[in-house]
Amino acid sequence: MSAPSQDQAPPAFTVLRPTLEELRDRKARTRQPVRDDREVLTVSMGPHHPSMHGVFRAVVDFDGEVVVAVRPEVGNLHRGVEKLAESLTYHQIIPLTDRLHYVASFAQNHGFCEAVEKLIGLEVPARARFIRTIAHEMTRISNHLLWLGIHIMDFGAITFQQICFREREYMMDMFEMLCGARLTHSFCRIGGVAKDLPDGFAERMRGALDFLPTRISEYERLIDQNRIFLKRAKDIGIFTSEDCAAWRVTGPALRAAGVERDLRRNEPYAAYPEIEFEVAVEYEADVYARYRVRMREMQESIKIIRQCLDNMPDGPILAKDAAHVMPRKKDVMRSAAAMVQDFMQVFVGPQVPAGEVYRSVETPHGELGFHVVSDGSPKPQRLHIATPCFFHCQATTPMWEGEMLADVVGIFGSVDVCLGSCDR
Amino acid sequence: MAQSHLDELSPALKAVQKELTSKFGKKLLDTSVFRGELTFVVAPEDWVSVLTYCKESESLAFDRLDCLLGNHYPGRTDQPFEVAANLTSIPNTTRLRIKTQLAEGQSLATATGIWPSANFDERETWEMFGVVFEGHPNLERLLLIPEFKGFPLRKDFPLEGLVGGRIRTDLKGKL
Repeated sequence: MSAPSQDQAPPAFTVLRPTLEELRDRKARTRQPVRDDREVLTVSMGPHHPSMHGVFRAVVDFDGEVVVAVRPEVGNLHRGVEKLAESLTYHQIIPLTDRLHYVASFAQNHGFCEAVEKLIGLEVPARARFIRTIAHEMTRISNHLLWLGIHIMDFGAITFQQICFREREYMMDMFEMLCGARLTHSFCRIGGVAKDLPDGFAERMRGALDFLPTRISEYERLIDQNRIFLKRAKDIGIFTSEDCAAWRVTGPALRAAGVERDLRRNEPYAAYPEIEFEVAVEYEADVYARYRVRMREMQESIKIIRQCLDNMPDGPILAKDAAHVMPRKKDVMRSAAAMVQDFMQVFVGPQVPAGEVYRSVETPHGELGFHVVSDGSPKPQRLHIATPCFFHCQATTPMWEGEMLADVVGIFGSVDVCLGSCDR
Repeated sequence: MAQSHLDELSPALKAVQKELTSKFGKKLLDTSVFRGELTFVVAPEDWVSVLTYCKESESLAFDRLDCLLGNHYPGRTDQPFEVAANLTSIPNTTRLRIKTQLAEGQSLATATGIWPSANFDERETWEMFGVVFEGHPNLERLLLIPEFKGFPLRKDFPLEGLVGGRIRTDLKGKL
């Protein structure tokens, strides 16, 4: 093989970014035309269907193998969280938010606490902000790993789920070390976090972070060169940025459509303003691009946790604010002031001002918003939770229409929906 | 505790406030600023026109409806219901809230023509509060069973529900 001649410059590396018009065009080409004159077959998918990621039911009209119309039906898991929250104080709502999304429960705790802190105007100590950031990114990694296993299973690779669960187990163990719980953490508190980092946490976390990137690149080797996956993921389920805005599709699905919107960057909270990270953006807006965004986000999360561990400040983990913050239990038994504060927080509740705020955070699935209306009492007058999964379930209608039956499952998996979060 | 610095508007939101005030003037019944969030109250008949302007205006560009929710204030006798829409602008990264107040039985025009994502939100608001959205394509129960009676997020609806799930107190001596 002859060496390349020196005078000929290598071609510059360019990334092909499709414009919105090109994507619209591609979307129109990949979707089958829906014809009115054909007889349709109505099929009820779910609520107990292995590919439905929970108790989601979609009544789908098919023309042959092509989806003509979708009627999503949600609510099988409705628990009346919003009504229940009106009878509880702000501290008591935190465990309820866990149950919204049991795969990424810390993200939900965090979002709620951020909303209440915004309402109060409370500043969280630096150490608590860093611990929150670590926990939030751990949630992101464990959620994306679970999503990856299930999503690849949607395409027929059953074993992959077991491989992903093996790595997810490390994150679960770290959560168990951090707060004692593996699934429903309730780790966030108004004004801080429940516990400090335990001894040996940083070393064990670094150990886990050292091998996770190699495992993630192992997955990428398995998936990225798999012809079956590529054929079934590329140019399938194209959902452009304008569709995302119209149907309020957020999170990785929005970033896969070329929109650089990440609330960690756009409306910073916790320790994100002090940390360097990249927002993973892809431009193809298809199932494959959503997969790429999540894989890159996992790598970024590892970087974020490393930076947090390196720059972890000392100091308190709860704000000094007797009117709103639940004191640490170990202080309650030692100081009279903390005992009075604990009594007041348990029996009366936090003294929040009257007002109305909307705060949203970037959870692994998308933007989770809490709309809190307070009338000055310790219980919210109204708490509305705008969960990303609610809108992702609704967006099945525009996402599935014109697609083939076999692709529907993969498209639904690619937006990452949790029905506990959807039905509230 | 003085927290006035928390309630200041960002320059981008000040521009939004200026533009909407000059455009709609007296149609904006109330303006409030709390924790850096801008809220306008409009009359129900101006609901759709204000929301449409917020979306279509090139400088405002509120291209996404983050959520639409209802609320019930039994203390306000003439207009006990409130519907709020949280808007988001992806290019400007600004947020805005538009609210309207409704009397019992008064209906509101649907926003599904502006943002299709309002569909589920309006269905939820209807089933929870009984606020009817005129022109909604499919105003049916969403999260609850179709046979459900009552509007559960109203303040006069009991927490334990109207049927079933109650703790029975008439079993004394029978167990």
